[in-house]
Amino acid sequence: MVKAVRIHEAGGPEKLVYEDVPVGDPEVGELRIRHSAIGLNFIDVYQRSGLYPLELPAVLGMEAAGVVEAVGPGVSGFAEGDRIAYPMQGGAYAQARVIPAARVVKLPDSVDDRTAAAMMLKGMTVEYLLCRTFPVQKGQTILFHAAAGGVGLIACQWARAIGATTIGTVSTDEKAALAKTHGLDHAIVTSREDIVARVKEITGGKGVPVVYDSVGKDTLEASLSCLAPRGMMVSFGQSSGAITSFNPGLLAKGGSLYYTRPSLGNYIATPEDLALSGSRLMEMVGSGRVKITVNQTYALADTAQAHADLEARRTTGSTVLLP
Amino acid sequence: MSANTVTAARIHQHGGPEVIALEQIALPDPGPGEARVRNTAIALNFYDIYERTGLYPIDLPATLGCESAGVVEAVGPQAGDIRVGDRVAVLSGPGNYAEAMIAPVASLVPLPDGIDEKTAAAAMTKAMTVEFLLERCFKVRRGQTILFHAAAGGVGLLACQWARALGVTTIGTVSTREKASLAAEAGCDLPVVTGEEDFVAVVERETKGKGVPVVYDSIGKDTFEGSLKCLARRGTMVSFGQSSGEPEPFRPRLLARHGSIYITRPGMGDYTTTRQELLSSAGRVFAMLESGKLSVTIGQSFALADIAEAHRALEGRATTGSTIILP
Repeated sequence: MVKAVRIHEAGGPEKLVYEDVPVGDPEVGELRIRHSAIGLNFIDVYQRSGLYPLELPAVLGMEAAGVVEAVGPGVSGFAEGDRIAYPMQGGAYAQARVIPAARVVKLPDSVDDRTAAAMMLKGMTVEYLLCRTFPVQKGQTILFHAAAGGVGLIACQWARAIGATTIGTVSTDEKAALAKTHGLDHAIVTSREDIVARVKEITGGKGVPVVYDSVGKDTLEASLSCLAPRGMMVSFGQSSGAITSFNPGLLAKGGSLYYTRPSLGNYIATPEDLALSGSRLMEMVGSGRVKITVNQTYALADTAQAHADLEARRTTGSTVLLP
Repeated sequence: MSANTVTAARIHQHGGPEVIALEQIALPDPGPGEARVRNTAIALNFYDIYERTGLYPIDLPATLGCESAGVVEAVGPQAGDIRVGDRVAVLSGPGNYAEAMIAPVASLVPLPDGIDEKTAAAAMTKAMTVEFLLERCFKVRRGQTILFHAAAGGVGLLACQWARALGVTTIGTVSTREKASLAAEAGCDLPVVTGEEDFVAVVERETKGKGVPVVYDSIGKDTFEGSLKCLARRGTMVSFGQSSGEPEPFRPRLLARHGSIYITRPGMGDYTTTRQELLSSAGRVFAMLESGKLSVTIGQSFALADIAEAHRALEGRATTGSTIILP
């Protein structure tokens, strides 16, 4: 048995139960991992509250780092003692777990466990957005909404490493300052500045080749208006609410635009894509070009407090749980 | 009559083919950035019918037409690289349904010696559409399998040839068995007669469940959902027409559910925004025509005086391949 944090029903942070769960031996193609750090994400809150329903009872948590403790039959490329991390595998809030070997990546010495646990989801999201959904080129100017958010701060650093210029939207001047320390070139403070007018001004009227938009319905129209002809709208989230209806005619009107609604799962579905994303992320973080800020740690037993603080926006940067 | 008076096919109101009337009109001298072109072959496109019926707005009265070829007989100031005597394709309208017309030099492409004016009038816009669709909007690669709707249409037949030249396998939808044969002759590897087979099932079978990286869809409303189902993970839906009506608004989540797919709604104007882009696209088409990899079939030609009859034939689906009008 190991300690884990489970929910037996959806609800508030008080539904998180720290309790013993069984952990078996790895079967064919599997590994048993002893966790050293676990990432905390908003998706965990949505799963706990029931917004994203799970089959119950369920151990929450989508990403973690740790050490291989046992290797199942038919697994090659992994040995006991290897340091690994993984994204998008429910069941991370536990001292140990069993996981398919095809879903984990090895950690280089240059990336520590806490950093790894905090960066897998957000870092791989930035990797696929900037390198694959629309491969950003050196010299391009891009628009990234919510530039001071967890994904946004990584995106600002990554875009700078590519040699691109980033225009980012933020809600306050404090957040503008924070994003600028992470490589943001032009901040648009949405409470007092018009997004489209500023983007046109910064790009000399041309618009940008790509907009990364996790805000959703509030920014859709402005985002499309910021695009240069043949530009791409990447809608990867909906913090202001989902876009319920999209008229494809808008793409013609805006100048032969492209629209996509990507999700991380589709970009790391194959072992090859997961390995590619992982190696690019390790390279960026290991070389110091992208810094991951872990500002809070909680004991796994205190996960309920961590959730309460995240929901109340009392946390900054990334948070990890320590088993 | 002055040499600048020419016969033109015009409309004063929208309606059926009977609203088109042959008239004598006086052409002004070409202004800055303009040329006067003596048309020797005029294209007949569905676009002309939409302008005649009023589906696409146009100021009245109007000389119809959107594409032609001929010889430059006068140029205004700032004519750029266009000279008197040049054989050119005219890639914009209106005004092409006439013995001669004033055209912006930006819409003129000089023809190489190997390309006659009838071929140019019959092929340029459609072939340049295929060029930007297959080479730029979504760049197809050797070995890929693609789905192209309306494979026996004017654009479709050229797309099948172009795709074959690139080493791409084409699954193409058509409405009849006769059209399936036409598409197959043009290089369509697997024509699907839509009344007989479900194209989604065919794509699934042929790609072993993976789907295709790109669907080119000019049908719109009727095929939109099926087309999305045919796409492989991270594939691209190229919606470039709407012969069955505009595609309905959709929930963006649909794109995530179909595997983080892309959708685009391209128009040729956005792919030929600079003179350089226009000439480069036309140059690719000339090279394909001259090498014999691309050929255009002129199924019929009509005299300009018989333009109403030509419209009736096109609307009645009684034409095959391209149709040209001879002034």
